[in-house]
Amino acid sequence: MNHLQAHSLFNEAITQICQVVIGKQHQVKLALSCLLANGHLLIEDLPGMGKTTLSHTLAKVLGLDYSRIQFTSDLLPADMLGINIFDNQSQQFQFHPGPIFSQLVLADEINRASPKTQSALLEAMEERQVSLDGVTRKVPLPFFVIGTQNPMHQSGTYPLPESQLDRFLMRIQLGYPDKNAEKSMLRQQELTDVPEPAATFSCQQFMQAQTMANEVNASDALLDYIIRLVTFSRESPLFANPLSPRATKALLSAAKSWAYLNHRDYVIPEDVQIILPAVAEHRLRSASTDITAQGNLSQTLLESVDPIS
Amino acid sequence: MNIKLLFLRLITPRSRPTTLKDRQQQSNNPAFLLLSSIVFLFSLSLLDTIIGWILLLVICSAIIRCAIFFAYQKHIPTLRTLNLLAILSIVGLAYSAWPLGLLITMVNLLVLACALKLMQVRTQRDVYQLITSLFFLIGCGFIFHQSMAYTLLYALLIFGVIIALGFFHAPQVDFKQQLKRTLILTLQALPIGLLLFFLMPQLPPLWQTPKAKSMETGLADKITPGDIAQLSQSSELAFRATFKNQAPMASERYWRAIVMEDFDGRSWQVHSARKQQRQINQFRRQEFSPVLTGSTIDYDVIAEPTQQNWLFGLDIATPLSLKSQGEIWQSADFLLISQQKLHSKYHYSVRSYTQAISAQTTSEFDRQLSLQTPQQGNPRTQKWISQLRAQYPNDQDLIRVLLTNFTQENFVYTLRPKPMFIDPIDVFLFEERAGFCSHYASAMAYSLRLAGIPARIVAGYQGGELVAKPNQEQYLSVYQYDAHAWVEAWDKQTGWQRIDPTAAVAPERITMGLRQAMLDEGSFLADSPFALAKFTNIALFNNLRLFLADMDYNWSRWVIGFDQQKQQALFKRIVGTLTTQRLALLGLAIVSFIAILLGLFFVPHWLRQKPDPMQEWYMRAVKLIESHIGARPSWQGPQDFDNHVNKKLPPTVSQTFADITELYVQIKYRASNDIQSIDSGRRQSLKSIKNAVKRLKKQLKGLPHHKLP
Repeated sequence: MNHLQAHSLFNEAITQICQVVIGKQHQVKLALSCLLANGHLLIEDLPGMGKTTLSHTLAKVLGLDYSRIQFTSDLLPADMLGINIFDNQSQQFQFHPGPIFSQLVLADEINRASPKTQSALLEAMEERQVSLDGVTRKVPLPFFVIGTQNPMHQSGTYPLPESQLDRFLMRIQLGYPDKNAEKSMLRQQELTDVPEPAATFSCQQFMQAQTMANEVNASDALLDYIIRLVTFSRESPLFANPLSPRATKALLSAAKSWAYLNHRDYVIPEDVQIILPAVAEHRLRSASTDITAQGNLSQTLLESVDPIS
Repeated sequence: MNIKLLFLRLITPRSRPTTLKDRQQQSNNPAFLLLSSIVFLFSLSLLDTIIGWILLLVICSAIIRCAIFFAYQKHIPTLRTLNLLAILSIVGLAYSAWPLGLLITMVNLLVLACALKLMQVRTQRDVYQLITSLFFLIGCGFIFHQSMAYTLLYALLIFGVIIALGFFHAPQVDFKQQLKRTLILTLQALPIGLLLFFLMPQLPPLWQTPKAKSMETGLADKITPGDIAQLSQSSELAFRATFKNQAPMASERYWRAIVMEDFDGRSWQVHSARKQQRQINQFRRQEFSPVLTGSTIDYDVIAEPTQQNWLFGLDIATPLSLKSQGEIWQSADFLLISQQKLHSKYHYSVRSYTQAISAQTTSEFDRQLSLQTPQQGNPRTQKWISQLRAQYPNDQDLIRVLLTNFTQENFVYTLRPKPMFIDPIDVFLFEERAGFCSHYASAMAYSLRLAGIPARIVAGYQGGELVAKPNQEQYLSVYQYDAHAWVEAWDKQTGWQRIDPTAAVAPERITMGLRQAMLDEGSFLADSPFALAKFTNIALFNNLRLFLADMDYNWSRWVIGFDQQKQQALFKRIVGTLTTQRLALLGLAIVSFIAILLGLFFVPHWLRQKPDPMQEWYMRAVKLIESHIGARPSWQGPQDFDNHVNKKLPPTVSQTFADITELYVQIKYRASNDIQSIDSGRRQSLKSIKNAVKRLKKQLKGLPHHKLP
């Protein structure tokens, strides 16, 4: 597969997904570039905004093996990771893998589970392996977790701590569709044969695309820009939680895959600017105690640093 | 209208916005702690100038600030209270400080203002006012103290004020970092300050600075030897003399300061007729000029402030430099008298004609003054002298006999004589036979006068501590405990002649100094137990004392004494005689020196950001565009800005800019790591971007400029 083929495949994939999740092309592209950068995705929005639909469709289109875990407050780690059961015939314990052992795991309403379960998932996310009863088992590769969560202030949620939020490469919000999009969505409902998205990529192809996206060139000037952004977040008194080195790496890899999705083999500052709100917003925390100051920190960060200099 | 209401309205301020944030910012800002301690320390340094109740006010305001800082107290005094306090204080100040003179009143007013301001500070403007006034106030401190220690203290206080300013603006920065930052700032300012010190023309003051009225110190112009039971001594410096060549021997160091001719039987003082004559002559600008012959010694004197007019010189001194000649007046009794009282350290140059004293003539007026004796009192002395006179008609013989009398009759030199109230000279000569220089000088001069030989007492200093280092001019430090009195007698054959009866009794006082003379009695500096000068037998203390004295000498000679003359001398040493050409060269040198200093600071910054030609050309294009469509938002990337331009400008122009952007982005962001290809490609793109920018300039010519809304 060469670059041209990859580009056309991505175009195809985006069109496919946009037929299901209508009017959310930007978010779809962000989600795709997140997976392309081999990162986990967190979708945060109110119920009924299409979070699950988006992740389901992504798995289908990218040809990934998919499983879904609905997080509830009584979900135990074993429900997710799997369990050792004693087999009477062979007189041995036999491992029954849980839903985590698939390429794309949808952790639905991740903030409804207890912290214990959350951290079991997060170990798998970071290490890409699961330890159970002293045996460490690798999860299949590529491995993605798409978490969805309701906004913090909804009742019955255990908000993810900062350290765990940091493991998600991106956090996106879908938001309400615009009027036209919503209208065409209603029209689609009337149709009897709803278009089923087909797998555009094979798993192999997608992994190949990941390597190619990683080879996108980031010049010195661009790295300087990223460093300036990160440094500003650390030196400015505005931010109580500045960006970590992990966030710096995330910024670069997300910018690379965004550039790749836009058919470029080099990154420009605009790529960084577009992905920055998704990559940085959930990692930053304002120093101000004023509740209204919490929003749009990444925008403040962007507007404080000049990309050309 | 009710008077109370009117008064209340007067002292109630118009509402000034004070936000909650302002107050929060203040309450825990270390700047205020620092500022209050600075005001307090400064007031302490001027303890004898500042009126007691103002000091109390300073302490109060410092305490209030500290209480607020440590949150023992949340409320600042209200503006109404403060205004009332201010009005009362002004009235109090006018009442209590008026007799002290304008200068001290003004300094007190400034301190008062700073203390009140410290209590009042609410807004940022208040802090600036306080800080500016503190700078001025600390500058005022130099009117009263110029010594090295005080200079150091005031420099530290100024430094503290700058740190406080830093803290006010950045309270979250920790002390160490703040200190470092301020230190760097100060160090950067230091060379410029030094340059200004050396090279700024020292103009005479535009107006007369009001002088501080303070206590006269040093020698008194009246001595009553019989009343003193314990001679109080002080180890304070009187003056320092720097010798151009060899310093005179210890036994020749008689520093003349005052001549006393009026004797009433108990005490000696400056004769009123002499004072009158001096005033008349000064008024007529009639200066006495002594006969000048014989070998000379040239030296510079830095006198400590005495608040009096007389200066010090070896016999017979004449002012040497032009400046000194203008400011020093010579009187008929061979004194040097300053036109101004010595309010601060005073530097003058003198030439002394060491053997000229005997060549001087005398007037009938001088003779008359030097022969007056009271009719009453001291009968035994009168009788004794008349017997002696009959025995020795020759003046020189009589003098010799009087001097040998002191040695033969077991007279003792002591700093703890018994008080002698009635007929003190009789008691001294025939009963006690113990006293210090004034006793001997008084008895001797009185005896001579009784015998019909004109005689007078000269008060001044004798001796001093000589510091001679190989590569430095010799200098002599004369302390208050070197004060001395001797006799001057007139003889037809020899002229005026110095007679020191103390030298006959205690020769070691003259050759070795008071410390050696008082070894047995142990009365040297007996009333100041901790004076370093006492501990000369401990080598460490002595070295420390000598080191401090040396520092102080160099400080007053080179820093405080740096006047217009020295400045001109410095110029001369640098450029030789001043011609316009050389002056221009000097100016150029100064400017380039400052430029180099600035360069040293800026060059590392410039070097760090190597100018990238690509970047430069792109920025030039951006500037061109900006002048037509307004400034680029500082966060916009090149591509976004290009899109923005595309919407705002006609297609031909925006196409050119798109080309430029494309080239820029290609080089800046696309360039691969292959250096070879970069170099050739880069040269090519640089050329194209240059051309494109030029094209852009032409295309933009006709277009309207951006107007600021």
